[in-house]
Amino acid sequence: MAHIQLAVGLPGIRGLFAFRPETADPLCELAEILLHGPGTLSPAERELIATYVSAENDCYYCQNAHGAIAACHLDGNDRLVRDVKTDFEHAAISDKLKALLAIAGKVQSGGKNVRPGDVERARRQGATDQEIHDTVLIAAAFCMYNRYVDGLGTWAPPDPASYRERAQKVARDGYLPIPADVQAAQASRSQP
Amino acid sequence: MKPIFLPEVESHPRPSPTTDLIRAAQSAGTEYPQIWHLFAYRPQATANLGAFTHEIMRGDCPLPAGLRELIAAFTSYGNDCPF
Repeated sequence: MAHIQLAVGLPGIRGLFAFRPETADPLCELAEILLHGPGTLSPAERELIATYVSAENDCYYCQNAHGAIAACHLDGNDRLVRDVKTDFEHAAISDKLKALLAIAGKVQSGGKNVRPGDVERARRQGATDQEIHDTVLIAAAFCMYNRYVDGLGTWAPPDPASYRERAQKVARDGYLPIPADVQAAQASRSQP
Repeated sequence: MKPIFLPEVESHPRPSPTTDLIRAAQSAGTEYPQIWHLFAYRPQATANLGAFTHEIMRGDCPLPAGLRELIAAFTSYGNDCPF
């Protein structure tokens, strides 16, 4: 049960997007740019960073929603997503992504925990400044999304498999436009 | 001011209103908040953060703007972020 009155049937951040369209637009556009738009990190890598940070923040909705999207980008490899969440240093991912996940983890525990050595490690593995920048912004943005979702006590479907269908659509089409069911809930809220 | 971790972010601002602010502060020799470099580096992404911030801080809401700034200041203090 959420802490405020939200539209029924829209889990996690989607109920919040329906509640406040003015803030939903920039938050969705930011997600689109960071996770799905053009970039030298693949969408799978960026979704793994978002999933890892959400798991560290213990946000059930976000880690399952974005973990399912990451798995879609990885041909259904749920196991790799799980490995990244539990022990990314030993997961079957590139050394560059490990270094970026280490930075993301530092941002999650507190921005000042990122030290020059963490940035050096990422650079040694070939990460560009833009990739390091975007990693930090993804991690920081997901700390916000995670706290937004949990701070209002939103509902999340308990079965991780139930996130797959929507994940396939997001992996293919991205985060824009705002989904039709959220837009419908926004419209019914704004009517007197 | 100390350089930020990513020199490319500091040295490659894209055209944006924030870039003009940085140039003005630099030519006047005054210090400025280095979050400006982050806003100037990726304006397409950070414009959304600006729009979001404006909406929650100044948009239509029963909480007065002063109280909203107080909440932001209290949270930033809790996060040990002086700026």
